[in-house]
Amino acid sequence: MSNIIASNIFLSENENRTLMALLELIIPADIDRGMPSAADLDFVRYLEEFASKEIPAIKNELEILNNTAEEETGNPFFKLGNEEQREFCNQQRETNRRFVRTILVQTLNCYYQDDKVLTALGRKSGAPFPEGNEVLQGDLTLLDPVRKRGNIYRKWE
Amino acid sequence: MADDIVDVLIIGAGASSAAAAWSLSDTRMRILCLEQGDWMNPADYPSTKKNWQVLRDNEYNQSPNIRCRDTDYPINEDESDISVANFNGVGGGTILYSGHFPRLKPSDFKTKSLDGVGADWPIDYRTLESYFAQNDRNMGVSGLPGDPAGPYHESPLPPVPIGKMGEVMGKGLNKLGWHWWPSDAAIITENYEGREKCINLGPCNFGCAQGAKSSVDISYWPINQRLGVELKTRCRVREITVNKNGMATGAIYFDENGVEKFQRAEVVIMACNGVGTPRLLLNSKSTQFPNGLANHSGLVGKNLMFHPWGFVEGFFNEPLESDLGPMGSCMLSQEFYETDPKLDFVRGYTLQITRGKSPVTIALQHTLKGDIPWGLEHHKNFERYMGRSVNINVVCEDLPEESNMVSLDPELTDSHGIPAPKINYHVSENSNRMMQHGVKSAIQALEASGAFQVNPYGRTRDTGWHLLGTARMGNNPDNSVVNKWGRSHDVKNLFIIDGSIFVTSGAVNPTTTIQALALYVADQMKKNLANLFD
Repeated sequence: MSNIIASNIFLSENENRTLMALLELIIPADIDRGMPSAADLDFVRYLEEFASKEIPAIKNELEILNNTAEEETGNPFFKLGNEEQREFCNQQRETNRRFVRTILVQTLNCYYQDDKVLTALGRKSGAPFPEGNEVLQGDLTLLDPVRKRGNIYRKWE
Repeated sequence: MADDIVDVLIIGAGASSAAAAWSLSDTRMRILCLEQGDWMNPADYPSTKKNWQVLRDNEYNQSPNIRCRDTDYPINEDESDISVANFNGVGGGTILYSGHFPRLKPSDFKTKSLDGVGADWPIDYRTLESYFAQNDRNMGVSGLPGDPAGPYHESPLPPVPIGKMGEVMGKGLNKLGWHWWPSDAAIITENYEGREKCINLGPCNFGCAQGAKSSVDISYWPINQRLGVELKTRCRVREITVNKNGMATGAIYFDENGVEKFQRAEVVIMACNGVGTPRLLLNSKSTQFPNGLANHSGLVGKNLMFHPWGFVEGFFNEPLESDLGPMGSCMLSQEFYETDPKLDFVRGYTLQITRGKSPVTIALQHTLKGDIPWGLEHHKNFERYMGRSVNINVVCEDLPEESNMVSLDPELTDSHGIPAPKINYHVSENSNRMMQHGVKSAIQALEASGAFQVNPYGRTRDTGWHLLGTARMGNNPDNSVVNKWGRSHDVKNLFIIDGSIFVTSGAVNPTTTIQALALYVADQMKKNLANLFD
């Protein structure tokens, strides 16, 4: 959220490499749109601050990811090349609807609440209060045909 | 404490309670309200926090079974097609409501006479008209006069902005020749009565940090307290007590420390809405009332009505900034509100047109569904959905059926050991046919407005916001629980003022009608003080 260096106290080095590779695959940067990669944000700090109860599930998914990759390719996920990682994830997603589901959900939660991301989307960063937002009033002359038609409710006297 | 008698004891501090207490305060009677929840602190609401988008998941969840605050009670919903949404605290359900504030219509009070279904109310729209207006002033309601789908009325404040999305939808509905109108909203669009106007924070339905949404902890209660009404929080009532003459004598409750206490009262008013009120009455068994208090008709808890609720979502090519603005209050179409004999259902529905979703929700929904891929294409596809969605809620009238009910669960209890409510509820065939038509109409409206993608989700379970009918009013004690001014047929000093006294549900959000009814009942009490218990 705050784009500072992660404390990263709950992930091993290999788990961290796995996670960063996965984040990069889920949401890479788009320079033209000014959008950072999910791996550029401080996902670990986000988890610690806002979603700590998900950490065990995330560690479990990372372990499964590495074990499955090792069974199928002979290497844990973090040791695969970028293209191999992408292909592996695509295969897994086709056969397992819940593949890295917790990591995916938390990545999207983190990414779309990040200040840089919201600003690039044209939205105000941070909490909505107290600044608020402007909303166009809208053209109420569009109601003229509705008025012209007259009352449509059933009367009861 | 047992000698500390009050004139009027109100159970619950939500929408109806606040209105009735305000009205009764000018009698100079001693009025005490017991509320099981806390005062809310607007500084704690999600929109004051960076991670506001995900805070609805738990702490501000609409379901007490998920939210699980210590002030909540559990509800057994295993045998219900719709799950209950509520909030327990000063403000009640208005803490989490969207402030969508349409009134019931004249035909809603006479469904039996007009359409041969449901039952007629013992009162009509005209009876409540002045109370609607009074409540609009007290709450702070915004709206545009002249809606041809209901009797003419003016709101104290101008309407909430319809925004670009409102213009797009309005043009589409005009193509179809259908009714639409900006919603009446319990949201102040200008500074009003010491409160600051709406600044479009967005998520009204998890508390308004600005205080612009007219939840009754903001609108009514501060005034009520200045007028001398007493309010005690964290007081969970277990039972309404009666004497040998069958008159209510007060309430047994657990205070904030869990200590059981008794509060004596001359008059008891129930204001716990359509699940809480029957739960408490059914828990108040005595020799005179072995089946629960005020239940000689056997109808306490029966005739539960929600509004079967469906969703259809559309996405548009142009940016609409639809994620900004009061989420639940934009506009509505009541083209199909009244019975049309050409259709295969009786009564009708509202199309409540609400704003789009937050960035996180859009990302989650469409990434998990596969519309937004992983990888480089993620951003381009996210843009297609973000700020470009419009939701149409299909709000179906629910008709009363005795088999739909609130009873007491034989095992489940709250943290004080008080039996919890159990819901038995099934959506009727009429409602299902109405919903099918409503979903088709919503699709038609979105397509006419230019949506490139329409997702019809249909009826959804987690939509039990409106809890109605479980202690209904009527002239005949055999088929109703309270009379036409809210007094129990059986217990002459017991009144009910919340959604449970609805006879039929209409097809609109009920809070404005609940409050108009509460003001009306309070007014009848004042007018009949001399012979209130006759």
